[in-house]
Amino acid sequence: MKTKLPVLTLLFLFAAGLMAWGAADNVVVINGYPVITADPATASDWYDTEAMYNLYSPLVYPAPEGGVRAHLATSWEPVDGNLAHWRFVLREGVKFHSGYEMTSEDVAFSMTRFITMGRGNSGPLGKVTAQIVNQSTVDFLLDKPSAIFPDTLALFFVVEKNLVLANIKTPGNYGEFGDYGEDWLATHDAGTGPYMMTSHLPGQRLDAVRFVDYFEGWSDEGWGPDEVPIERLVFIMETDYTTLLTLLKSGDLDLEINGGWTLPQLQQIQADPTLDLVAVWSQNVTVWMNSQAAPTDDEHFRKALLYAFDYESIVGPWEAFGNGETGILVPNMPGYVAIEPQPRAQNLERARQELALSKYADRLSEITAVYHFCGGLDFEEDIGLQLQADMAKLGVNVEVAGPPWPEYSASCSAPETTPNMTIFLFAPQAAPAHDYYTYSMFAPGGLGWIFEAHWYFEDDEIIRLLEATRAEPDPVVRLALYEQVQPLIAEHALAFYPYQKPTLFAHQAYIAGPRESIAFVGPSENMHNWRINLVLKDQLR
Amino acid sequence: MVSRPTGETMLTFIAKRLFQALFVLFGLSILIFFIARVMPGDPARAALGHLATSEQVERLREEMHLNDSFPVQYYYWLRGLIRGDLGRSSYTRRPVTADLVQHLPATFELILFATLISAVVGQLTGVLAGFFRNSWFDGLSRLISYLGIATPSFVIAILLLFIFSQVLRLAPGVGRLPLMMIPPARITGFMTIDGLLAGRPDVALTALKHMALPAVSLAVIHIAQEGRITRTSIVENMQKDYITLHRVHGIRTHRLLFKYLLKPSIIPTVTVMGLDFAFLMSNAFLVEMVYMWPGFSRYAVTAMLNKDLNAIVAVVLVIGLTFALVNLLVDIVIMGLDPTVRLRRGGG
Repeated sequence: MKTKLPVLTLLFLFAAGLMAWGAADNVVVINGYPVITADPATASDWYDTEAMYNLYSPLVYPAPEGGVRAHLATSWEPVDGNLAHWRFVLREGVKFHSGYEMTSEDVAFSMTRFITMGRGNSGPLGKVTAQIVNQSTVDFLLDKPSAIFPDTLALFFVVEKNLVLANIKTPGNYGEFGDYGEDWLATHDAGTGPYMMTSHLPGQRLDAVRFVDYFEGWSDEGWGPDEVPIERLVFIMETDYTTLLTLLKSGDLDLEINGGWTLPQLQQIQADPTLDLVAVWSQNVTVWMNSQAAPTDDEHFRKALLYAFDYESIVGPWEAFGNGETGILVPNMPGYVAIEPQPRAQNLERARQELALSKYADRLSEITAVYHFCGGLDFEEDIGLQLQADMAKLGVNVEVAGPPWPEYSASCSAPETTPNMTIFLFAPQAAPAHDYYTYSMFAPGGLGWIFEAHWYFEDDEIIRLLEATRAEPDPVVRLALYEQVQPLIAEHALAFYPYQKPTLFAHQAYIAGPRESIAFVGPSENMHNWRINLVLKDQLR
Repeated sequence: MVSRPTGETMLTFIAKRLFQALFVLFGLSILIFFIARVMPGDPARAALGHLATSEQVERLREEMHLNDSFPVQYYYWLRGLIRGDLGRSSYTRRPVTADLVQHLPATFELILFATLISAVVGQLTGVLAGFFRNSWFDGLSRLISYLGIATPSFVIAILLLFIFSQVLRLAPGVGRLPLMMIPPARITGFMTIDGLLAGRPDVALTALKHMALPAVSLAVIHIAQEGRITRTSIVENMQKDYITLHRVHGIRTHRLLFKYLLKPSIIPTVTVMGLDFAFLMSNAFLVEMVYMWPGFSRYAVTAMLNKDLNAIVAVVLVIGLTFALVNLLVDIVIMGLDPTVRLRRGGG
């Protein structure tokens, strides 16, 4: 018997090995752009946010119908109607990855840390002071009233206080808190999200495994019979889409979530029966016009550009992939208003009329309007070249240049250095998205820089309405204000919008999701919202 | 009579060279420090991301001393360097030293492998082509060498990837390991060694397979160069009197080749090999891009594109240091190979 035991054990291990070898791996390789930091207090770009939604949980969650819904917080309200004093009641029984339960102490600590460090997405919150009311209630005191404060917390992620404090490095920039755990959190997690980080090489690779005790659970409701939760995630960070297409076709890559595909690549993916494309949120392709620099300082000249542009030519081949009309808001957002004078078709006659009304009418051949795109982005260059060709028909020279990102972005730091036109893509990555596309881009207290490269802040009515959106607690009334302000902004022709560009997630056919479509960066990339069909994977591979 | 240098002489020589290197690196640091700062772009903005407010950007500019004059900024940087602190990367938001520790081994492992390939194949080809000069082998190796020298590494990288990975499926594609494979615990950063240390020889073998195509892509140009140099040197030495004398005395061909011809003939190649190694450090980035190789060269490009000031300076210094150390090593090796150099050094 003694001699048989090792033999049987070996046979068992061999058989188990064979079974494991035969079964498809429950692991999904995802390409996200470089996730630089996994610290919720410093995460800022949309790539970081995608990782955040997997590793951490925000206090409130963007809702498919707009606004936010309960998540770590179950309810919230202004205390005595004071919009500078908000009370949040927290969900009970939420566990961190360490197994400890989340309390108001963790939430208050996370907010203090977020505001003190002053990085990442903390800017729009202003100065916030956190006060613990009891174990499951926390108050936030703001430096100025804000009706949209709860919505901004869709990018506020809670960290485990004791774990962070145990890993601070001293000395640091934050007195007794040393580095506030920044170095440690760059490569470790202290969250409550559906996945737990197992390793992170910043800018290269992030590995995570499923958190079985995730507070939202792992119900199979709404999923197909063979669609099971994904056990392991591997985020890779590759920006070359030729390589990505090769990986996708060879089956080494399961899901790509940044959608930087060229048109021929999209056509190849579409033609492959083992691959699928899904669109959730769109980027707003925006061409700012500098209202402080000649010749775009003239409103009629700017309107001439709008009417001269041949929208159909530029959108044409992309239309099959959802590119199309857009405006100040993106069309799938509640409250979107199709704006005038944003024509959707070229009208050269109208463009000539506008040029005739401009102060440059008598010296059109002498002037040059400069168009900047970010070097290397072909579709941005295509838009510039189209505009160049269109304006040439009117006798106006448009110079198209594509400096590299550092130079391109630095030029937008002041009105005098900003070119006449700057193209940029705006994804719904700041919370709330309505405020991002309006207040942040058109109010004097907005985000400035490349977000306000039109440099126009003279219309008092626009400013009044934008301020009103941040002070209005009733979401329905607020939405009406957004609808009201869009045509007023459009009247000044501060930008033109060639098209919206849906971010197309390319994935293997055996990957299912997202179950819920939320037009905001992050929730759709939360892998709790996706499943893997291992039976289908076995068949296809 | 040939006298060997004393230990002290050799040490003095190394100390002198190290001192010279220090001086060069100091000059290099000043140069690159100022060049990096006049490049367009705001490093504080790049560090904080798009959504940072102007106040946040301004606060970080103060923290990074960007509002101070260049000499003051350099003083702060130099003070940090003396303490072993190369500053923080504004892109990865980690200490630059941590980034270097993470990225350097991947590139070192790759270029060591590439250097090994180029040394073995290049020298062997050169020796055979020289020894059998004007034979069909000599002609063929000449043709291949010209092609190798004329074709950029990244073109070879793309071709090899396409042919051997995509079409023939004989070699793995990108990365240091298959994407789904969990890497071994990091000890040295060399995937092959870490795989073995972790008791996972399969990982070491897989890592080696993944290294094959990028290493060959990098090695081709150097195989060609080193092959040609070795060939020329062999041909030159074969015409020397002492070789003729050995031939007349009936010394066998293989003994003639390996004992009397090879050693003096590879000296010029060794010099080139050293330079090639350092050259690969700074020029591997396109191959690293093609193969998604998470190495130092790729990090350097990212630093440049994101105006990551501390990272840029550190990258240039590391390359400078590599050049200096490799040149020193080459000189020492040549002293070992060539008695006339030892004689000159020994004689002061």
